[in-house]
Formats: sequence, C-alpha cells, structure tokens
Amino acid sequence: MNRKTARRARIKGGLTLALFFFVFVVPFVFIALQAVKNRQESSLLNFAWPSEWVFWQNFITVISARDYMLLLAYFNSIVITVGSVTLLVIFSAMVGYVLQRRKSRLNGFVMALVLAGLMIPPAVVPTIWVLQGIGLFKTIHGMILIQVAYGLSFSILLYRAFIATIPRDLDEAARIDGAKPWQIFFRVVLPLLKPVTVTNIVVQSIGIFNDFTNPLYYLPGRRNVTVQLTVFNFQSQFSTQYNLMFMNILLVTIPPLIVFIFFNRQIVAGMTAGAIKG
Amino acid sequence: MTGLKLAGVTKSFGAVDVIKGIDLKVEHGEFCVFVGPSGCGKSTLLRIIAGLEDVTDGTIEIGGRDVTWAEPSERGIAMVFQSYALYPHMTVRDNIGFGLSLARMPKAQIAAKVGAAAELLQLTPLLDRKPRALSGGQRQRVAIGRAIVRDPAVFLFDEPLSNLDAALRAQMRLELTDLHRKIGATMVYVTHDQVEAMTMADKIVVMNAGRIEQVGTPMELYDRPATVFVAGFIGSPRMNLIDGPAAAAMGAATYGIRPEHLSLSDDGGRWRARVRHIERLGADCIVYLDVDGPGAMMARVGGADPITIGQEVGVTPDPARECRFDAQGQAVR
Ligand SMILES: Nc1ncnc2c1ncn2[C@@H]1O[C@H](COP(=O)(O)OP(=O)(O)O)[C@@H](O)[C@H]1O
Ligand SMILES: [Mg+2]
Repeated sequence: MNRKTARRARIKGGLTLALFFFVFVVPFVFIALQAVKNRQESSLLNFAWPSEWVFWQNFITVISARDYMLLLAYFNSIVITVGSVTLLVIFSAMVGYVLQRRKSRLNGFVMALVLAGLMIPPAVVPTIWVLQGIGLFKTIHGMILIQVAYGLSFSILLYRAFIATIPRDLDEAARIDGAKPWQIFFRVVLPLLKPVTVTNIVVQSIGIFNDFTNPLYYLPGRRNVTVQLTVFNFQSQFSTQYNLMFMNILLVTIPPLIVFIFFNRQIVAGMTAGAIKG
Repeated sequence: MTGLKLAGVTKSFGAVDVIKGIDLKVEHGEFCVFVGPSGCGKSTLLRIIAGLEDVTDGTIEIGGRDVTWAEPSERGIAMVFQSYALYPHMTVRDNIGFGLSLARMPKAQIAAKVGAAAELLQLTPLLDRKPRALSGGQRQRVAIGRAIVRDPAVFLFDEPLSNLDAALRAQMRLELTDLHRKIGATMVYVTHDQVEAMTMADKIVVMNAGRIEQVGTPMELYDRPATVFVAGFIGSPRMNLIDGPAAAAMGAATYGIRPEHLSLSDDGGRWRARVRHIERLGADCIVYLDVDGPGAMMARVGGADPITIGQEVGVTPDPARECRFDAQGQAVR
C-alpha cells in the first residue's frame, strides 16, 4: 500500500519533471544551439549539432552591431530597471505601511484603486497623450515613471501582507522612544521588510528588464533602445540572421536568469511570509 | 508631589465604553499595580496613560503637569510591553540606546547611559547580541533597560512577566521590586495575576469592567475587601462566598470568609460538614467541604492535620474575619 503510493508519487514527479523539461529547457537548448551555428545552418532551425562552432564570432558581431547598440541598450535598461525598482520599493512600502497601519475611511477607496491597477489593463494611446502633454514621452525618466505606475499595485499588495506580520507593539515602542512617523518607518519598519523587499526587487527588476512592449510603445527612438528591443536588430522583412538573433536573445536572457536562480529561495520566502498571518 | 493623577478618564471604542470613569492618584515613587480579570480595560488604561490611545474624556497629570494631549515621548513615561517589543534588527546596545540617539544625544553620553543600564541589569556581556539570541528573561531585561535610559517619571509595565515560565517569573518579580527600590521611580504595573499584585505592590488598584472596584495596600484589600468582586479576586485559594438564605441568616446578602479563617473541629462548630476532597500542599492543605446550610466551602488547615476524606467535622469561622456584603455587593461595616 505504502510502497504503491510512493511509487505513484515518483511517477508523478517524473512526469512533471519531463513536462517542465520540455517547456523550459528544450527551448533554451534550442536557442543556445542556434546561437553557436553559422548563418546557413541556423536558418534550418533544427536541433542538429553545429558543424562548426562560431560562438566567439557571433558574440562579437552581436555586441558591435549597429554601433554597439547592445551596450547602449544594456545601459538604458539598467538605468530604467534600477530607477524604477528603487522608486517602487520606497513608494509601495510606504503605501503598504500606511494602508495596513492607519485605519481610515479612505482605506477602502485606496485599496480599490490599488486593485484596479492590478485588474484594469493600461490603455496605450491615452497614456502616450498624457506623456506627450507633460513632456515625458520618449524620455528615460518617463519610462521609469510608467514602470513604477504599472508595478505599484503588485508591490503594495506584497508589502501590505508582510507588514501585517510585524507587531504593532514595535511601532508603539518606537513612538514612546520619541520616533517621528517617518523615523518609525525608515528606522524600524523598513529594515524588517528585508525579505519581502528582496522579493520585490527581484520580481520587479526581472519584469522590467525583460519588458518588451512598454519600451516599444513609450520609448521609441534609436538612442532609447532597451535590451529586449535589440532582438529586432537581426530580423527584417526579407532576411533574418537567426544565429545572431538567437545569440542576442541568449545575451539578454542570461543576466535575469542568473538573478532569478540566485534569489529563487528568497523570492518564495518573501511571497509566503506575508501569507501566513496576512 | 504626585507621580500620576487621573481625573474622570473615560474611553470608548465606537459605541463600546471600555473605561467608564477612572479617578486615581499614584504618589511619587509608588509601585502601583492594576489588577483585574482579562478584558476589564487594564491595558487600555495603561495605553491611555502612555499616550498610545487618546482619552474620550478626562485629564491625565504626570508629575504635576497636564499631559492629556501630549505625545507619548513627551510625557516622561517609559513602557515595557508584554511582547517586549524589542527591535529585532538592532543589537541590545542599539535597542537600549535607540531613544537616546533619536533625541540626538552625543554618542559618548549614550554609551555611558547604555553601559550603566546594562550594568544595573547584568546585560553587559550581551550588548552586541540581537534579541533573537536572547532568552525570555534576558529580553525582558533589555526591555526594562530601554525604559530605564529614558529616565522616566513613570514606568509603565503591561503584563511583563506573562510570557515567562513560573520559576523565572518569581525571580523577575524579585528583580523588579529590587529595581524599584534602587531607582525609586513611580511604577504602574498591569497584571491579571493577583499573586503578582499582592507580592509587588505598594498600592493595588482592582479593576472590573472598566471601573475601579477598590484601591488600597495589599493587606487592606485582603483584610477589608470593599466589594464582593474584590473579595473573590484577591487571595488564593479564593474566599468562600455564600449567598441566598444561608447568608441572610447571617445578616448579609453575601457572606464571605477566607479558607484560612475557618477552623475545623471533631465536634461542635458553627456548621457541620463532610470532607469531600483534600489537597495536600506540604506546608498546609486545602480541605473541600460540603457544609450543611452554606454548601460547598474550602478551608485551609495545617499540613500535618490528620484529616481524611468522608470525615464529619465541625466548621467555625473566625468572627473578626467575617465579611458581609449588601445586595449591591458593597461591604457592610
Ligand atoms: N482598539 C480597540 N478597539 C475596540 N475595542 C478594543 C480596542 N482595544 C481594546 N478593546 C476592548 O476593550 C476591552 C478591554 O481591553 P484591554 O484593555 O486590552 O483589557 P485587559 O488588558 O484588561 O485584558 C476589551 O473588551 C477589548 O476587546
Ligand atoms: Mg491586557
């Protein structure tokens, strides 16, 4: 009986693993294979082993293409990611704190806005009008504000759930110790939010770094290119250099992948820590 | 100089009146204990004194100054929470010195004050640890240290010992009374445990349902409870309280006599009773009796008393120790 269930569990586990292998690993292997082939072989788009390895040559070509556009894209993407994640963390922790700690009549309304931010898809054209109106269209800082606005709801909800697990006694002890409200927040509460802050930083920065559509809409212009948009460099209506395109994909996929693998455990910890007492 | 004065303090949460009019004076240097069943509003009253809750009505004076609407940090109080509320990310040193650093005291002076408090509470070897690396008793002492460095006019304690085991609790009771003697500050201490109240207090305030039932020294409350509630709450094992016709026969709506003020005899006695159960505690023993007339009663007799279950005995109260209460539960003198 017991042995039977154990065997069934093992079979289930094996099947799941196989499924995930096909969904996640096979495409990655495919990308990596094409990236080291020469142009003719890669255009066949198959799993055949490359007859000659041209990794280094593809690598240099991709980096230096169109006046080192990939490096500029990396710079832009990093500026956008760091800027918007910093603002996201500070603002959403503050909003989450106030929402959780100060009960007022406005809370319900603010929560409705937060949830609306999560549920209602953003409208592109009106957003562009607004951006143009305030002179932020086609600017990096405009893009940063867009990313903050789009990510705020999710981060607020994560923080709010986590802050509920921090005893109110701590706030009160700090208040008796003479801390002003902003000192209570920055010196007592924020340091204790570290697990969920790590989660927020990792999840949001991967999302923003990997974002393709928003920079496409809101940040046109050669100087403003972000990493995901460099994929277009080797794709055109008539000919696509698959080996270079896949090398490009590889180069923009690996950094977030490393971050994700590295912080995997903390992400889950931060997500579930708030869930217990939320 | 008065340490603390409350006048007509009330508190309502929405439609619920939690504190229903408290007038109280605590003298400077007094150890005052608020005691009462849980939910009677002790913590709320303490938080009102601390300034963590606003009063609905009434005034609060600390050291002769009206602080009813002052910020907690400006009232000259320090509070020790039941959960200790230590900042988990700070070392013991930073926990104790946090308030001082917020007040922009020079570093050297902070170090000196923290060092002195740590010395007083035997925390010196632990100064660089984080709270999670401390035992319950040590955390308790850090919380007290954080209070001491503020040099408060009034210390507020909210059930500070309830998270400790029994042995440690007895030891901390002693340490707290020692500390009180050493620093001589006014202390207000909240507990639901009447043993803590009896053993530590200069003055006990018995609360029930948002009101003060009686204020007095431990022995005053023990000898002359003002109400049936106090009679039943103070003293362990609790006072025998009898009502109905048996009490009426003794000229009261409720008649009370403490177990230690009953004497047992083989024959005679005011009442006849049978022994139902005996708890032998060593030094003395508690005898559960079925008394003809009043009903179930407890008596405390010497530990060596050769009494047996089922035995028939005579029960006689010490007439000087009897308590009588009227129909409103007030003592009749
Ligand atoms: N913030 C609050 N909102 C509503 N009711 C409260 C609040 N705080 C306390 N109470 C109520 O006030 C009563 C007294 O609580 P408390 O002072 O904590 O009692 P005690 O400390 O004596 O056990 C309880 O019935 C509790 O439910
Ligand atoms: Mg309480």
